[in-house]
Formats: sequence, C-alpha cells, structure tokens
Amino acid sequence: MAASMLGWALQAARQVLPSACTRQVRSYYVDWRMLRDVKRRKLAYEYADQRLRINAIRKNTILPKELQEVADKEIAALPRDSCPVRIRNRCVLTSRPRGVRRRWRLSRIVFRHFADHAQMSGIQRAMW
Amino acid sequence: MWSRVRGWGGAAGGSCRLAARFLAGPASGREAAGAARQAGRPHSKIQKLFSTSSVLSTEKDESTPSKDSTTKVASKSQGSTAETPKQKLLDIIGDMKVEVSYRKKLQQLKAHENKKQATNKLEGPDSEGTMLQKAKEDIQRGKPLNPELVEAASAVASSLPLNKKQTESELLAQLRRHEETTDKQKKGGTINIRNVISEMSVKRQSPAERGVRISSRIFLESDEDGQRIRPGRVSPQSFDSRRSLKVGKRLNIFTKASTETEKALKTVSSPTIWDLEFAKEIAAITAQPPRNGFEEMIQWTKEGILWEFPIDNEAGMEDDAEFHEHIFLEKHLKDFPKQGPIRHFMELVICGLSKNPYLSIKQKIEHIEWFQKYFEEKKELLQEI
Repeated sequence: MAASMLGWALQAARQVLPSACTRQVRSYYVDWRMLRDVKRRKLAYEYADQRLRINAIRKNTILPKELQEVADKEIAALPRDSCPVRIRNRCVLTSRPRGVRRRWRLSRIVFRHFADHAQMSGIQRAMW
Repeated sequence: MWSRVRGWGGAAGGSCRLAARFLAGPASGREAAGAARQAGRPHSKIQKLFSTSSVLSTEKDESTPSKDSTTKVASKSQGSTAETPKQKLLDIIGDMKVEVSYRKKLQQLKAHENKKQATNKLEGPDSEGTMLQKAKEDIQRGKPLNPELVEAASAVASSLPLNKKQTESELLAQLRRHEETTDKQKKGGTINIRNVISEMSVKRQSPAERGVRISSRIFLESDEDGQRIRPGRVSPQSFDSRRSLKVGKRLNIFTKASTETEKALKTVSSPTIWDLEFAKEIAAITAQPPRNGFEEMIQWTKEGILWEFPIDNEAGMEDDAEFHEHIFLEKHLKDFPKQGPIRHFMELVICGLSKNPYLSIKQKIEHIEWFQKYFEEKKELLQEI
C-alpha cells in the first residue's frame, strides 16, 4: 500500500514539476536505422517552417539575387537531418526500407502475414 | 396645416427627423426653407435624396394617397415625436412587414397614442422654444450620413410599393436616429434603451402578431384545450402579455454571475502532490471496466480515440477569428517599405496566406513577422544593392 502510494506520488511529482533535466530516453525501436529515421523526422518537423520561408526567398524572381545567395547559404547551414528528403518511409514493424505500403506503413511481408490471419480490416484475397 | 407646434416639442432629436418627414409629402417651399434653417448639414442630403427620389418615383398616382397619408402621418407624429424616437422605428418596421393598408395602420397607432397625446399637449408649447436649440444641438452632434446608406435608403424606398418619398425620408430619419442613439450610448445615456426595448416589444404585438395568431390558430386548435376564442380574445391576450412585459421592466441582459464564480475559483489553492495522487486513486477505483460495447465506445470517445458523431469538421480547431481577419492582412505590412521588390514579395506572401484555410491567424502573423525580422537583419545588405 505504501509502495503504491509512493508510486502515485512520484508520478504526480513528475507531472507537477516540469522536467528540467533531460534524461536518457530509453525506448526500443526495431533497429538503429529506425531510430535515426525518427530523429530525422523530428528535426524536419522543427525546421519545417523555417525551411519553407527561406525557400520562399530563394525560389523567387522578384527579390535581388544577392539576397537569394545569402538565403542559399543560410539553408545550407541548417542541420542536415532537418531536410524532409532524408526521411525514408520504413516499415513500422520491421524497419524494412523497401516494399512498404504507404497506407498501412507496413512492409509487404508483414502486410501479407496480417492479411492472411484476417487481422487487416477490409482486406481480402483478390480473386477475379 | 399640420400643426408643427406639437410636432416640434418633445423628444430631443425628433425635430430634425420630423423636418425630413414633413418634407416627404408634396414639399411646400415654406417647409423646405424651414427645414433648411434647422437642419444644416442633413438638409443637403435631403435635397439630394429628393432629386433622386423624384426620378425614381414615376407614379404620380402615389402622390394623392401620399397626401392623405401624410395628414395622418402628421397627426400620428404629433404624439409619436413626443415619445421616444424609437416609436417611429416600430411604425416603419410595422409598415414594411405587415401588409395592412397604410391608413389602417395609422389609425391603429393613433388609437394607441391618443393616451399619450394628452400629456404631450402640455409639453408642446413649452418646449417650442427649446426646439430650435435642440435642432442646433442635433446639427452639431449629428454626423452626416454615409452617402452609401443614403443611396441604400433611396433604393429600398423605391422598391417598396407605398409612399416612396415618405419611406425614404423615414428611413433616413431612422438612420440618423441610429447614429444619435449610438452617440448617446457612448456618452452613457442607457436609460432610454430600456424604455425603448420594453416599449418596442409591447407595440410590436398588436399589429404584427395578430396575423401570426390568426395563422397559428389554425395549427394549434387541436393542441389547445379547445379554448380557442374568436378575435375578441386577442386584445385581452395582447393586453396580458403587455402587462406581463411591463411588469418585469428590468431587462436582465447583463447578469453579474461571473464575479461570483471568479471568487469561488480563487479560494482553491494549487493542488499538492497528495491531493493529486488521492484524486488519481479515486479515479482508478471509480473507473470500472466497461460492461458492454457502448460503454467501451463512450470511454474511447472520452479518451479521444473515437471521434464524436455527427462528425464536426472543426473538431480541435479553435479558430475564433472572423473571415476578414484571415483575408485582409495588409495591416500587418505596415512596417515594410512601400515600394520596391520586398513589398511586392510580401504582397504575394499575403495573397497566399489569405487563401490558406489551414493556418490560424496567429500562425499567419508569425509568418509575416518572421519575414520582417529576416529583412531587418539583412538591411545593410539590401542597402548596398
């Protein structure tokens, strides 16, 4: 009973006190490549607005070219992982980079596995 | 012939409006001069209107009924001007909405106002002297009407079947009165509004709602106890409603309930850790597992897993701003230079933002401010160019 109370208290404390110290986040992704992809996605989300605006200045016929060159340099100075081009739509379960159906975010093998076990809603073996 | 003596006395601001009213009929030069004397700026508007209205109102048959009606208008307005100016608003609204003949309408109103005429007769001769002063005050206070409003009034008047000139002048009078009341409100004269609104609701019943009652009677006969009585009942019913309305004259539109809730909130201090975990314990105990699929769906909806049906497309979107704040973004371009490529560029940006339904206004403003900061930083570079 005391332990559970302590547990609750700790949880509450975590909520009440804003987490100032950054702890090591331990979560298990399928492999390191998936983790790197996750980091790239986060960074791309952070810098999305900025990239859009700098690109708006660059891809322009109105503004002077010197300004556009400066903008070029600026965008190149942003972290490399912030560009959305580096994101790869991997399979969510197996981290397979190829053969991934975008709608289900699954690789073809996993998709087939689930569909055969009737665990995919609305999916049926095709026959015509 | 129309006893302007009585007409001038009474409510402030009525004088100017009355001038417009009287000129509606076959405008006698004397009255036009009189109006010109009193209504300085508005007079030019009236003149302009009459020039347009004479063009619009081609039917000369209207002039004869208008003559007759103006007499009644005058006699009606004797008492009405003495009351709050909003009476006229009612008259005009009543005129426009109800399809009763104009004369009947006037007769009805006359019947209502006969009571008040007696009191105003006393006021009439006394306030005649103050009439000119009030008129002058009105001229000083009253702003000239928007030319667009004036044109709109003339268009509306032309569309209506009866008494184009009269309705036009009445509309203008109304507009002027509107502005006057807003000025009064700004200065803090809120007492009139209560009377006005209570009076308005009272008056509106008899002419307009009689038609409604007659039509509703057909539908509601079966629902009622069968006590639907002939139109003789209508007047006592309206009387009752009038009485009930007059009894509760306090219009509690603005309640003071908010202050109480604020006090209640302040007493609660920031919750301690123990309070939090106690609350969590209670929640864990009371949250029983769902007994059936419905309860499960309810739980999911509460958690946010399941959407609410019928689906509202704006779930989670709390954009309280009006459409014009999204579209007219030029005011945010104040700090930018007015000429040159940067302005051109920013105008394109704003054009794109105005067409974007996905961003909130804050985001759009942030977007523009980012560009502002960026160009501020690059100012030296820009000046080299």
